Amino acid sequence: MIDRIAFGVVALLLLLSALRVVTSKNLVHSVLWLGLTLVTTAGAYLLLSAPFIASIQILLYTGGVITLMLFGVMLTRRGEDIAIPNESSEGGRALILSLATFGLFTGAVLKTPLPQEAPPFTGSTAELGREILGPNLMAFEVLSVLLLAAMVGAIVIARRRDPGSQRPSLGLRIEAEAKSQEGKS
Amino acid sequence: MIPPIVLHGLIYGGVAAIALLTLTAWGIWFERKFAGRMQSRLGPTMVGWAGLLQPLADVLKLLQKEDLVPAQADRTLYLLSPPLTVFFTLATVAVIPFGVDVAVANLPIGVPWILAFSGLMVFPVWTAGWASANKYALLGAMRAVAQGISYEIPMLLTALVPVIFAGSMNVNEIVRWQAEHHWIALWPPGPGLFAFVIFFLSCLAEANRIPFDIPEAESELVAGVTTEYSGMRFGLFYLAEYLHTLVASAVASALFFGGWNGIFGLPDGIHWMLAKTLTLFFLITWIRWSLLRFRADQLMRICWTYLVPASLALVMISALWVHYAPQLGPMWGG
Repeated sequence: MIDRIAFGVVALLLLLSALRVVTSKNLVHSVLWLGLTLVTTAGAYLLLSAPFIASIQILLYTGGVITLMLFGVMLTRRGEDIAIPNESSEGGRALILSLATFGLFTGAVLKTPLPQEAPPFTGSTAELGREILGPNLMAFEVLSVLLLAAMVGAIVIARRRDPGSQRPSLGLRIEAEAKSQEGKS
Repeated sequence: MIPPIVLHGLIYGGVAAIALLTLTAWGIWFERKFAGRMQSRLGPTMVGWAGLLQPLADVLKLLQKEDLVPAQADRTLYLLSPPLTVFFTLATVAVIPFGVDVAVANLPIGVPWILAFSGLMVFPVWTAGWASANKYALLGAMRAVAQGISYEIPMLLTALVPVIFAGSMNVNEIVRWQAEHHWIALWPPGPGLFAFVIFFLSCLAEANRIPFDIPEAESELVAGVTTEYSGMRFGLFYLAEYLHTLVASAVASALFFGGWNGIFGLPDGIHWMLAKTLTLFFLITWIRWSLLRFRADQLMRICWTYLVPASLALVMISALWVHYAPQLGPMWGG
């Protein structure tokens, strides 16, 4: 019984917050709703007896969401108003696309035979670890190489700048200044 | 009909929250008095008997102040942020074992739970700074986020060291392992102790305590995130900071110093946990009133060029130790 209630609350929160992500008129609100959506997804994982995935979901996505928000504010902020507009114009096409995705997922869920009872709430972390580092080691390693490639790419893009305008960072300049002051005295 | 596990959570959670909030009030008294003795601040050592009325005086002063909301502010987020900081800090308490098997929830994912909620802490701090519609507050919030998500990495990695040694993510199991074998900070000479130091520093940075209080550096940012807050809403930030310090001390003593495990064969119990937590709290207070603030770029450099590689190395050393130590004989294996 309490499972059902918990599922109802999580599902409702998930739907509402996901809806608010796209309907919010303010970028920061949108991103905060996205944060709530991801945290509620962790709640759904918890109800599915996957506590490790749930905590990792919170751990990883909070960092991601907060970074997204920072970029949202730093790249789009104009003027003095704290409200950052977040207008969407492609409503019709987005609706078709999301309906199609919904249909696809619904079809997949209906076709898959699912267990009727939730598996017992145990620490599944050890089995998960053995599964990942045992039979699925190859896929796991390929994934980490992919992430490494993404990281290297990001660094290369971030470091590419005009060679003429290279200035040391503020901290280095302050330190150089302090050193030259020390040299004088 | 409420299931027993929910009832257990409600009762233990209520007791733990009230006890911790009381302890926090005591912590504020202690810090005010300690700072008074260290830096000749006359008031806090004299209000009432031994300065015990100082926290009361602080709260009375905060309660009298008007609850201001700036006209330009994002009202909902502005009002919601301070209580959320307290909420996320209290949520971490759920998995800390205070006594032998005394915890609000004995979760198999205790360590990730603690890390997840201390990661969530940057949210209310950031929204507070953004919603204030104040440049100082926004700058403070930016710094808080940069610092928070940077120091989370060494914190996460060093919290893995006890997990590797004890072979469990359940905080209670980690403490039990230490009671049966040895404290993680003491025995494998090196990794445990260094991991504790890095974990402790990262906790200080996450709680925005000196020497890592760049987000509220009053000499450059007025009061950082809390610039626009007045009265009890400012008080909630203050409360969350102290609570965070206490909780971080409790987590560090559970993960590295054997939690409720007694020394010299003395009986285990909640008093040991309390003693260890308060010792670490004392250490944090001592650091706060002795040291100066780092510059923002020094802060980031310490994290990324020293703490992150060092904690990665510690994780590797611990894993190698756990794998090879049993082959060296019973004396080493632990």
